Amino acid sequence: MRVNPDMSADVLAAIWETQSQENTALQQVATGKRVNAPSDDPLAAAQMVGNQDQSKRTDQYLQNIDTLTSQLQTADGALSSVVQALTQAITLGVQGSTGTLSDGNRQQIVQNLKGIQSQLVQLANTSVGGSYLFGGTATTAPPYTLDSTSPSGVTYNGNSGTNTVQPADGLNLQTNLPGSQLFQNSGGDVFGSLQQLLTALQSGTTTDAGTATNQLRSAFDFVTGQRIFYGNGINQLSSTQTYLQQEKLTLTSQENNLVGADLTKAATDLTRAQTAHEAALAAAARILPTSLLDYLK
Amino acid sequence: MPGLNTSLSIAVQALAAEQGALNVTTNNIANVNTPGYSRQRPVLNEAPTFQESGTTFGGGVTLEQFQSVRDQLLQLRIYEETQQQGNSQTQLNSLNQIEGVFSDPTQGVGGALSTFFTSLSQLSTNPTDANARQQVLTAANNLANSFHQAVTSLGTISSGLDQSVPQTVDQINRLTSQIATLNGQVAQMQGLGQDPGSTQDQRDELIRQLSTLVNISVTQTEHGLTLTTANGVPLVVSSQSFALQAGTNGSTVQDVFSAQGQDITSQIQGGQLAGTLQIRDRVIPQLLASLNDLASQFASSFNAKHTAGFDTAGNVGQNFFTPPPSTTDAAANFGVAITDPTLIAASSDGSAGSNGNIARLIAIRDQQLPSGASPMDMYSNLVLQVGNFGANAKADVNATGLSLQQLTDQRSAVSGVSLDEETTNMIRYQRAYEAGARVVTTVDSMLQTLMNMGVTT
Repeated sequence: MRVNPDMSADVLAAIWETQSQENTALQQVATGKRVNAPSDDPLAAAQMVGNQDQSKRTDQYLQNIDTLTSQLQTADGALSSVVQALTQAITLGVQGSTGTLSDGNRQQIVQNLKGIQSQLVQLANTSVGGSYLFGGTATTAPPYTLDSTSPSGVTYNGNSGTNTVQPADGLNLQTNLPGSQLFQNSGGDVFGSLQQLLTALQSGTTTDAGTATNQLRSAFDFVTGQRIFYGNGINQLSSTQTYLQQEKLTLTSQENNLVGADLTKAATDLTRAQTAHEAALAAAARILPTSLLDYLK
Repeated sequence: MPGLNTSLSIAVQALAAEQGALNVTTNNIANVNTPGYSRQRPVLNEAPTFQESGTTFGGGVTLEQFQSVRDQLLQLRIYEETQQQGNSQTQLNSLNQIEGVFSDPTQGVGGALSTFFTSLSQLSTNPTDANARQQVLTAANNLANSFHQAVTSLGTISSGLDQSVPQTVDQINRLTSQIATLNGQVAQMQGLGQDPGSTQDQRDELIRQLSTLVNISVTQTEHGLTLTTANGVPLVVSSQSFALQAGTNGSTVQDVFSAQGQDITSQIQGGQLAGTLQIRDRVIPQLLASLNDLASQFASSFNAKHTAGFDTAGNVGQNFFTPPPSTTDAAANFGVAITDPTLIAASSDGSAGSNGNIARLIAIRDQQLPSGASPMDMYSNLVLQVGNFGANAKADVNATGLSLQQLTDQRSAVSGVSLDEETTNMIRYQRAYEAGARVVTTVDSMLQTLMNMGVTT
């Protein structure tokens, strides 16, 4: 039977084929990737779009968690100072409500309480990066100013709005409590009871001062209770962080499964392709030059 | 009883025949690497016998003609496969370029879209932060740029393909006119009962080259071959060729017209021309449509939410993106409508510090757009489309490459020149020639003997 007398085209095709296998394997080993263009595996490439998006999201969530944690910690720190100031004010209130107090001492106490009042205003005006933490959603201006004409001794310039942030997909976390709710709540009015104490000490009876001190106590209890909000928030962020870090690992391993090269397999493929390539070359070297002419003298 | 002279003349005939046969071998060897060459073989026949004294004697040998060894059916299969290969190879080349636009998931439209949403996510932690606001605008502009880049890249590829249409049509016309000339010669030689040999080889090789460019159907008639496009538009009829024309004819792209002026663009199904048209008229428009859908639906949905919020001054939000003009140009005209970062409507209650509207804006990321998929899913579908186009073209190129190689092998097995065979033949003819020459000398010496009969020395 007559066969194709010219092997060169087939031999070349075989050499190219093995060379292309070698290149593919080499590229996989070098880049660590199995999918370098969408056509290498269209489905995996399409899924990688989602994977990369999720990965970027997660990175941003983790960054957000750092920012939010620091915000919540600052707010909690401010509240902790408020609680300390209130303790001081209560002690002064107790002293002021005893009947055996000289006018001079009383004036002293009033001065101290006024100092505490402005300290509290300062704390209620705590800001992070120009954004005031206790103004509701009106965060661009200090929420509290001293105002002796007001029954509470202060004016609240903020609002009662709250912000919610997504620390992770499907999770919503309220990130602020407005000052009106924290410091002027009907369950414990920090500024109102302090002003009431000041008025009682300046112009009222010791009984009035005692009542005002009791109200300061309930304000103390209320603010202390509100710190749980921030503590919870910080805890939730911290557990979300752990979850997201886990999520990042999952995403990386998903990426690896989708487009990563199995390095062991790629290395084996490379060796195999190299052997095949060399074999093709050796065969070409042996077959191509041979013809009947070699044997005719 | 034939005389010595008869032997002498038979021997001389044999010498001529073997010499002629050696010529064929020489020609075969000379053309061993000529593409499309079909090996020839000498047709040797017994010369007419003659009778003398009731005995029939052989009349020697004659070299009738040379004959090319070919398989016309195989040749037709090669044309068909060549057309498919031309088609899928051209598609693959363009698709490789197109893939580059969509290959890196962290870059391009997908990456920019993703970054845009993360910038919003960052802004949600501090909606009054001027830097974070600026970043949202920057990310939005990057997104617009990625849309523009994708459209421009696809446009560049498309116009490159468009420019190649008239060039390909020129090549086709050059080939058909050459084929027509050769076709006439072949028909003429066949009419005279000659083997058209190398003329037919040349014609067949040109038809093969034509097959890489366009799909043709080959019909054998008594006046030679008739070449038509698959839909019957004549290209070559006997010795006449019909030139195709390329022209815009009112449309924005180069179309292909028959010699009679009929638009046959959509009928071209094979060869490079079909691959070019397929990418230019189907694949790229389809990808552009997907990009436009994404751009237009995303911009509209985002604007709808954005105008429901409030900027830092407490004013109702404006359009964030330029409202898409029409779905056909949405990606090319995708633009950010605002330049002042304070105009980003992050607030849901009118206070500067509210982030309520950002959550609604971010929610678009996972919401179904009118297409029924989220923006990211729309983009990943686009990548899937690109990938599938590429993968299919790659598979086609491999498949047609393999079968074309097999067919070429088969053709070569029939028509290819084997040096071993030619060498063997050469030895055969040489030996026969030597033997013939020996007969001549023998007859000569016999005649000599005859002449010297009765001569005493």
